Amino acid sequence: MTAILATVSAKRLTATPGQIALALAIAAFLGLFLVLPVATVLYVAFTEKGTSTFTLVNIYDFVRTELFMRSLWNSFYVSAMSVVWASVVALPLAYLTTRFAFRGAALVQTLGFLPLIMPPFVGAVAMQLFFGRNGSVNLLLDDWFDFKIGFMEGLNGVIFVQSVHYFPFILINLSAALRNIDRAMEEAAQNLGSSGFRLFRRIVFPLAMPGYLAGASLVFVKVFDDLATPLLLNVKDMLAPQAYLRVTSIGIADPMGYVISVVLVVASVAAMWLSALALKGRDYSTTQRGGGGLARRVMTPFEAVYGYGVVILILALVLAPHLGLLLLSFATIWSFSPLPDAYTVAHYARVFGESSLYIKNTLIYASIAGGIDIVLGVAIAYLVLRTKLVGREWLDWAASAALAIPGVVLGIGYLRMFYGVTLPDGTPLASFWIMIVLALAIRRLPYALRACHAALQQISVSLEEAAENLGATKARTVRRVVVPLMAGGILAGFVTSFSTAAVELSATLMLVQSNSDAPLAYGLYVFMQSAAGRGPGAALGVVAVLLVALCTFLSQLIIERSQKAKGMGH
Amino acid sequence: MNAIASISTPALAVDIEGINLSYGANHVLKDVNLTIRPGEFFAFLGPSGCGKTTLLRLVAGFNQSDTGRIMIGGKDISNLPPWKRDVGMVFQSYALWPHMTVRRNVAFGLEERGVARAEIERRVDIALDLVGLGHLGERRPSQLSGGQQQRVAVARTVAVEPKVLLLDEPLSNLDAKMRVQVRRELRDLQRRLGLTTIFVTHDQEEANTICDRIAVMNDGVIQQIGTPMELYERPANLFVANFLGTANILAGGIVDSGTGRHFVIDGGIRVPIASDATVPKGAKLVFRPQHAGLTGPESPSGNALALPCVIAHREFLGASIRYGVRIGATEVAVDVPFQSGEELLEIGKAATLTLPQRLLLWLAA
Amino acid sequence: MITRRIALATALGFSFATSAAFAQAPAGKVTVVTSFSKDVTDPIKKAFEKAMPGVTLEVQNRNTNAGVKYLEETRANNQVDLFWASAPDAFEVLKGKQLLTAYKPRATGIPEKIGSYPINDPQGFYSGFAASGYGIMWNERYAKANKLPEPKDWQDLAKPVFYDHVSIASPARSGTTHLTIETILQGEGWDKGWRTIKEMSGNFRTITDRSFGVPEAVNSGQVGVGIVIDFFAFSAQASGFPVKFVYPSVTTVVPANVGIVTNAPNKAAAEAFIEFLLSPNGQEVLLEPGIRRLPVNPAVYAKAGADYPNPFTDPRFQKMIGFDVDKSEARTAVVDTLFDQLISFQLDALKGVTKTLHEVDAALARKPNPQAKALADEARSLIAALPVTEVQSASAELRGAFSGAKEKGARQAEVESQWASFARDNYGKAKVKADEALKAAR
Repeated sequence: MTAILATVSAKRLTATPGQIALALAIAAFLGLFLVLPVATVLYVAFTEKGTSTFTLVNIYDFVRTELFMRSLWNSFYVSAMSVVWASVVALPLAYLTTRFAFRGAALVQTLGFLPLIMPPFVGAVAMQLFFGRNGSVNLLLDDWFDFKIGFMEGLNGVIFVQSVHYFPFILINLSAALRNIDRAMEEAAQNLGSSGFRLFRRIVFPLAMPGYLAGASLVFVKVFDDLATPLLLNVKDMLAPQAYLRVTSIGIADPMGYVISVVLVVASVAAMWLSALALKGRDYSTTQRGGGGLARRVMTPFEAVYGYGVVILILALVLAPHLGLLLLSFATIWSFSPLPDAYTVAHYARVFGESSLYIKNTLIYASIAGGIDIVLGVAIAYLVLRTKLVGREWLDWAASAALAIPGVVLGIGYLRMFYGVTLPDGTPLASFWIMIVLALAIRRLPYALRACHAALQQISVSLEEAAENLGATKARTVRRVVVPLMAGGILAGFVTSFSTAAVELSATLMLVQSNSDAPLAYGLYVFMQSAAGRGPGAALGVVAVLLVALCTFLSQLIIERSQKAKGMGH
Repeated sequence: MNAIASISTPALAVDIEGINLSYGANHVLKDVNLTIRPGEFFAFLGPSGCGKTTLLRLVAGFNQSDTGRIMIGGKDISNLPPWKRDVGMVFQSYALWPHMTVRRNVAFGLEERGVARAEIERRVDIALDLVGLGHLGERRPSQLSGGQQQRVAVARTVAVEPKVLLLDEPLSNLDAKMRVQVRRELRDLQRRLGLTTIFVTHDQEEANTICDRIAVMNDGVIQQIGTPMELYERPANLFVANFLGTANILAGGIVDSGTGRHFVIDGGIRVPIASDATVPKGAKLVFRPQHAGLTGPESPSGNALALPCVIAHREFLGASIRYGVRIGATEVAVDVPFQSGEELLEIGKAATLTLPQRLLLWLAA
Repeated sequence: MITRRIALATALGFSFATSAAFAQAPAGKVTVVTSFSKDVTDPIKKAFEKAMPGVTLEVQNRNTNAGVKYLEETRANNQVDLFWASAPDAFEVLKGKQLLTAYKPRATGIPEKIGSYPINDPQGFYSGFAASGYGIMWNERYAKANKLPEPKDWQDLAKPVFYDHVSIASPARSGTTHLTIETILQGEGWDKGWRTIKEMSGNFRTITDRSFGVPEAVNSGQVGVGIVIDFFAFSAQASGFPVKFVYPSVTTVVPANVGIVTNAPNKAAAEAFIEFLLSPNGQEVLLEPGIRRLPVNPAVYAKAGADYPNPFTDPRFQKMIGFDVDKSEARTAVVDTLFDQLISFQLDALKGVTKTLHEVDAALARKPNPQAKALADEARSLIAALPVTEVQSASAELRGAFSGAKEKGARQAEVESQWASFARDNYGKAKVKADEALKAAR
């Protein structure tokens, strides 16, 4: 924030007053709802125990502790491998659905998106039911062939679950990028004798690189910062679980939990920065004609068989948790057997009454949060890519860093900052539901920002220059040319923010003040805290998944429509 | 230049036979037949939406026709995918890959063909030299001017020694001055390589100046094929006459009386039709502005046709004067060479428009 | 006003003492922060609201630690009336931070102690409303498929047959597990207790981070045996899961509690809620299949089934050890951190040695070998060794390292790092000895 202020006054104005005002407004928003709340929690990492004076001894302790260094390495390893496997899953889906006249492409895109909206807790629980040591697959394997596969064991288990969970980030961003490639780019390569996988590897994929990297860096950072999955798989020697374990238990007064949080933030920002660096100095704007997109080919019968085979295999894998959840929601008892003992609808009856309230809250919160995110996302992407405003990258980095802030830290920060502020009726500001929305918006902003950033990166500046040349002001150009051209990316960003906000839990848990303000994820958490069976929780989980999937599917349809309207055909 | 020797391949003919193509109810190409001779610089000319680009993309393999076939050097390529056709295409947007340097762009096709590394570098050098961009190989496309980008696109295409070169409106993204220069360069290059080339344009001047022959297209149908001169002098129909150069068109009807056939211009003026002239049904009288002359109101003698007219306006063009004259209700253009000191005809005055019988065109739509 | 109060008190069957603090009948919203699941809170909420028209119970579900943290962070503008959870330690922490208000319930028929544990806080800051014991739960289908015997006591879980079949929650994360560990330590003594715990731990399959993770894993058959609080098993049984539960000989019953938060916005209703919980009506709700906690009012057991455990009459409960809550509170952080540093984060190493030692035992059973036995015993001693004595564990210095105390002193990370290296070295040495023992035994 200060960087912008200082440079604006010190240097010659390099931007319009409107842009400066916009930058300052965003900086103020991020400062108030992200930087300051987090700083109130994280400053502990740099204070000496007992005296509150500045010190780096805690960092020294971190480096010296074998457990933390092992955790750091494990986190890197798991994140990197998850990116690899998520790519292996996402690439074929993105390629097949954007490049071929593939029936039900929208359906595939939606189904492929589903893992992302698997609400916390239930995902890993459902995966255990199928792939766990005594899950359906292993029970059958043991029965038939007398061996078991440790899908869910240790770090490999985490990689497995994370790849399946987070590959949609790559799928979504890569698909958006693929749609934006000028068809002539591909045709030129075909014309020069390139086809098939080589064409993809040498031309199509590099051109979609901004989208891929946006997705891959998200996967990396999310896996790096995710604590729920390792904890549910009982893997503790990773950084995020270590931070969480400390901040929420005996370490709460100790700086080390916050030191780990700082390390998480730094590593995440570094990952984002590296992915930006990889694209630096390269021109990826290929939408010279303002739309178009790759031609969709009709598959040969052989390709179709192969293609559908790949898609079905992948979808079967990624939808396993959902299938498990569905079975669980109808199961009476499911214990040490490949399938439940019997089926019932009683669990749905149990959650029926409360679910409508949760659904309403979730829809309101997630849509507002998604809306805030795309507005901020477009604005920040524009400032970063299209202006020379000094310090603009800081906005980008600050917003991206939100990804790395553990939800608990943000939640505590909000309570500290806003609980003292009272509303006119005497209730604290922090207990007003809008705070949940703001926390969700901040937590999910990086998703929307990456999508908007990639979309804008692909639009040639000349299209804006043309508009300005025709007398449009900067603001009008953004509204009438830039935003419509970015529509696909913006919508992708909204969908990601919306649907992940809809199942976000960690910050919500700290901020929910009453059941009547609670979203679905909170309801799920409450229902899953039961030793009497997971049935009601699973039923609510199914409701959540269906709800978000429906919204996603509708958005997907809109994207398809807008692509058609932009002139895919003749 | 040994560069050319090592790039050129024997020129091949392109035969397009019985092509039909529809998108739903939209019949985009209707029974297209044409033959392009080996080494010819051939243009598909027509207004936008006439199907010329679609036809070019058919040759490149990016579209599939419903019927008919395309042959290159006598070999049917209709069922080959684009990457096996060996036809080089220069795209309207150039489609240079922004993530590769100029050299890598040009080397791409050779790499795809599995050419040895050293040979690739050699041929990239040749191709870049050919378009005069040998010194810019390490730049990225975004760092080049429009003309340079266009030349890289050409170099990238010819580097693979295609059997046929396809140019899709290659000059449309250039400014007027560059356009003249580049089209000359293209023509030279094509001559030197001896490559059969198809050039798609909506600009008749471009087609006229560089092409050996032109296929004029409208509404998915080939209107006429010929050299630029043939098309200008002997257009097959009103569309061609109008599309290439300025054409004066007088509507009317044919009357067959005892004294031979007459064309009665709307308004009553009768024009005798030469006995050897072929006049299609529903034809109109067409002539070029520079073929007509203007004299005073007194009727001139001789074989020429004389039509009474009124001077409506005039424009001084330097080498000539363009008069707008009214024949009945129709206004036509007449170009008269300007001679220094000559007295110009006054606006509003009556005059006589003279036309040599042999230069009259009888054209139907 | 007095008449209204009396009318209300009569209706509920309580007698309210006159007090200036509540001049009004309870009404409006009463907010409770709880770690209890919906299975517990829903029926109680329903019964309470029925008994108290005009009062709504607003339930905020947080795990115990998060709830404590929440009250701490929001104390400046507190909106919560009640804290309601199992672990007495959490209430001790809240009491220590002056986040609780003393309140003496008027309900009658509740004894002083359950087993040997005082039901209420002697100073009156919180009141016990239900008792729970700790024990071992197992999945019968799993046990059958893996040919596991029925465990009876903690030591059974250290037997080779249970290797890789047992699960527990980390005591640092689960208040109830902490009590289990503390019970073993108090029942068997510091050194012997840790030895038992570590020998058991060598057989652990997982150490979960949520109390619910254990019953969940046992219910679904992912793990065979779990160390849990009794009502997890009882409510799972009530739902039909093929699980069984046993109280080991060294265990205890500890009450789950409720307390009024300092500056409660609706103190009157908060008190009414406590009175309801302790009334016969409220106590009976605890018998519901989804809850299955042990009421603190002995009279209520008359309404329970014959097989319902009754801590007031069942002789098993009478032998249970006395639980010293002050001792527990003094060393909570040290015990939990020791568990994490010596066991949770070194589990692979610990399991590695344990596996070898099981093999040695098997070999020795076939062919006795004194040298191998001696080596194995050395290895066991190395595993059992502790970096901290019982006295040190409750010392001010160590407590300071974990409490974020204002005075300068050892840093938590420093202490943890030392303990971790201690454990790693010892397990490494133990592994060498165990390998030698195995070689000798074969």
